[in-house]
Amino acid sequence: MRASFVFSEVSTGLRRNVTMTVAMILTTAISLVMFGLGLMVVKAVDLTKDNYLDELEVAVFMTDDISQQDTSCTQQPCATLKRDLEMNPAVASVVYRNQDEAYQVFKKAFKNEPTMLDLASPQAIPASLQVRLKSPEQSGAIVKAYTERPGVSLIHDGGETVDRLIDSLRVMRNVTFVGSLVLLLAALLLIANMIQISAYTRRTEVGIMRLVGATRWYTQLPFLLEAMVAGAIGAGLAIGGLLGMQLVVPSGFANQLQNVIKFPSTFYTAFVISPILMLTAMVISSLVGYVTLRLYVRH
Amino acid sequence: MIRLENVTKLYKTSTRPALENVTVHVGKGEFVFVIGPSGSGKSTFLRLLLREEVPSRGKVYVSNFDVAKLPRRRVPRLRQTIGCVFQDFRLLNNKTVFENVAFALEVIGKPAHTTRKVVPEVLELVGLDGKSDRMPWELSGGEQQRVAIARAFVNRPLMLLADEPTGNLDPDTSQDIMLLLERINRTGTTVMMATHDQSIVDSMRRRVVELDWGRVIRDDARGVYGYDH
Repeated sequence: MRASFVFSEVSTGLRRNVTMTVAMILTTAISLVMFGLGLMVVKAVDLTKDNYLDELEVAVFMTDDISQQDTSCTQQPCATLKRDLEMNPAVASVVYRNQDEAYQVFKKAFKNEPTMLDLASPQAIPASLQVRLKSPEQSGAIVKAYTERPGVSLIHDGGETVDRLIDSLRVMRNVTFVGSLVLLLAALLLIANMIQISAYTRRTEVGIMRLVGATRWYTQLPFLLEAMVAGAIGAGLAIGGLLGMQLVVPSGFANQLQNVIKFPSTFYTAFVISPILMLTAMVISSLVGYVTLRLYVRH
Repeated sequence: MIRLENVTKLYKTSTRPALENVTVHVGKGEFVFVIGPSGSGKSTFLRLLLREEVPSRGKVYVSNFDVAKLPRRRVPRLRQTIGCVFQDFRLLNNKTVFENVAFALEVIGKPAHTTRKVVPEVLELVGLDGKSDRMPWELSGGEQQRVAIARAFVNRPLMLLADEPTGNLDPDTSQDIMLLLERINRTGTTVMMATHDQSIVDSMRRRVVELDWGRVIRDDARGVYGYDH
């Protein structure tokens, strides 16, 4: 096989169909960007989950009378409740946070919002047992078991908030995946079309090749490589786009977002997502190319 | 060299066979005209030799190849032993004369140094030395057909198939092309030429196989185009 021959055929092929090639490259790139974003969100879901679950606590809020009278959880029913929780195999630790401590935490959380601080007084914030779980998935069971206990006014399950966040991330992921699938289909059809046009404009050449006894590799490899090169350029653009997006997004905004959702690092995008995108582009363009050649180009 | 034995070819779209029970033997180094009106089966005859078609019945042998039974991957090998020339030349307009001829070698993987050596030789043989850098559209019809013949012959095939090679040329130019085909034939290459050109067939006095409605109606060792012409 003479490489120079094949490469010159591929480059003339790509230049001959330049509008088609550009359309195909752009569609591939956009669909891969969406696919890449989808993959980033998948990773973000994992990272966010890990991050929150590490710090996840169930807060068992006490009724007003306990909050006001029992500052150290040594009286009944607080003491029994605390002991029961500590005995529970799912629980890692239990800390009592009395009204004063709770108010300090509140002040810290809302230090930039004076109106909120004005509205609240130590008496308005209930005391609570801060329960840290061994396995975060069991938060639901804890809520169920202790809600009706005497002295308990309300149990706040931190897991629920995370679940809602994760759910919305999942929706985001699904939307990007569906979008990328639709665009991938368009890219697929464009590849097939590109090869058909290419084969049509080169029918004399291919005819001569067949007649002088060129093997299938010689007649069809240029078409296949043409599709793969265009696919690779598309994937390259997509990868560049994703990395560019990560680098260009204002860091202040990104940091604020990082407090809520943990996004994968640029490193992850470059060394995990990028190879996946490149591989996807290669596999799809060569498969579609092969099938199209089988169907439309006679050997 | 070539053996067709009781070959029948039916196309799905046609009710009558394109070839019917055709038996023809052609020896190495022979020059054979295949004549007959349009639709008589000349093209099908040539296409069977190239394995562009497979016979519906009967056997086709070219050189050592059992053509009908040849597996697909071996078809290129068969075709490398056959050169083809057509009425419409089929040159690549974006390539020079040299590149057109070299193309036939490149696509079967011949190394560049072979191409550089062999292409000028064959261009000289067909009388195109000094025109290797021309583009096809700068050449006359006769010259273009010479390029096509050079391309068909550059790999030194055992056999040259020519489908109406003079169909687009004036009588003088046609004569020149025939002289060239004769010269190639003298190198030991079998030549099979399908044609309508009465004067050429009459002047050459070579073997004539006449087809009509897919049947061989005449096979003369030194024939003319027709008895009544």
